[in-house]
Amino acid sequence: MPAAKAAVLERLSAVKSPDGTPLPATGTLSDIVVSDGKVFFSISVDAALVQRWEGVRKAAEDAVRGLPGVTSAMVALTAERAAGRGPAAAAPATRGRAGAQTRSAQAPEGVNAIIAVASGKGGVGKSTTAVNLALGLSGIGLKVGMLDADIYGPSVPKLLAIRGRPQVIEGTRLRPMTGYGLEVMSIGFLVEEETPMIWRGPMVMSALTQMLREVEWGALDVMVVDMPPGTGDAQLTMAQQVPLAGAIIVSTPQDLALIDARRGIAMFRRVNVPVLGIVENMSYFLCPHCGGRSDVFGHGGARREAQRLEVPFLGEVPLDLAIRETSDAGRPLVVSEPNGPQAAVYRDIAKNVWTELGKTRGSDRAAPRIVIEA
Amino acid sequence: MTWPTEIRLPKDRRALAVSFDTGEQFLLPAEYLRVKSPSAEVQGHSPHERKTVPGKRYVEILEVQPVGNYAVRLTFDDMHSTGIYSWDYLHELGRNQQRYWQEYLDELAARGMSREPPARQS
Repeated sequence: MPAAKAAVLERLSAVKSPDGTPLPATGTLSDIVVSDGKVFFSISVDAALVQRWEGVRKAAEDAVRGLPGVTSAMVALTAERAAGRGPAAAAPATRGRAGAQTRSAQAPEGVNAIIAVASGKGGVGKSTTAVNLALGLSGIGLKVGMLDADIYGPSVPKLLAIRGRPQVIEGTRLRPMTGYGLEVMSIGFLVEEETPMIWRGPMVMSALTQMLREVEWGALDVMVVDMPPGTGDAQLTMAQQVPLAGAIIVSTPQDLALIDARRGIAMFRRVNVPVLGIVENMSYFLCPHCGGRSDVFGHGGARREAQRLEVPFLGEVPLDLAIRETSDAGRPLVVSEPNGPQAAVYRDIAKNVWTELGKTRGSDRAAPRIVIEA
Repeated sequence: MTWPTEIRLPKDRRALAVSFDTGEQFLLPAEYLRVKSPSAEVQGHSPHERKTVPGKRYVEILEVQPVGNYAVRLTFDDMHSTGIYSWDYLHELGRNQQRYWQEYLDELAARGMSREPPARQS
């Protein structure tokens, strides 16, 4: 049944303007357009009152969304200049932006801290580290979520052996998948494994924003974000969309990787995201046959780099066949061989991360109050 | 690093009042913020690409949106909205307000430009 205009209007009578008048009686509504289950209209108010009306806009949107047959609702708040203030030029349409001023840079509700696991270059084992770190954090009793922000090469579904598609709830929101006690969201759940993600900047931003905000994340102590490699759109979007509580840089020990790791650290510093530390991955190789140790990539490079850049060194993970095998099989070591030496390494890293997070949270400087005088 | 405690947009939208944890308070006029926008549209990608922006005497700030935990994005009523003002930059603008403003006025004069908006053609 298509939602008719009358039904929409009826719903809107339950929404009150800031002074308590039912919305349809305020004379601020534009024509209501219903098309294919989608409802569009705008509320026009004096520019000075925009702040007070943002809640009304949101309520109107929610009310309409609840109607049977409505798949989406888009309500724009349009600011009009009061008469006599010059030509009515450039009446700014501020769809949801005015009230978003205090909202847009906040973490999704219930998510206590968001940490990004990043690397300057690809192939250093960032996703494997992120997954085992998330499980390590979960292992010390925390409620952990995992957001796979590596939209070009989502690997978290495979690493955690999660198949299927997330359930849609309330029309547009997605319920995160779960695996090994983690709440997980990845673009990999929504597209086929072989489908390439040929996306440009704005699409990247919108995909990330949706995975962050249109997913019913539960109450989480910490959300681990597996970032795509590099310092591009996705990284900037994450840093701008949410106050990241911290970033962890994964690097292999050789100079080539460390140069890029340095770039990553510099980027996070520029956007005031505390760098919680560096993890050295593929630190050394213990030969399973002879027990001899080879420093394939030159062990210790990341530790030295951490010292030089004055960021904590969180730990070193050896190059180990078991890590690769369990990762490919979707049985991360921290849960499949919890008593093994590698699991202990990840658990220690998780503890270090949690400690560092506590330190930066302690000295955390709250975002300034933004006051818009009405 | 200095950190703002409050960013206030007064009713007339013609300035931004920024208080820092150092106790400093700056009232930064919208015109000043607009012409010193850190946006690439104004600053270019190197110092010699920097533009002198005239005619913003009556510009107003429409929106103040937080960006991550390091900056605010300001939207002006001339629809300029690409400037992301980091805490550091706001502080710099506050501390050097007199000097920067004088430099701007000198630049305008040197280029034969004016703070007044161009007359509307009707």
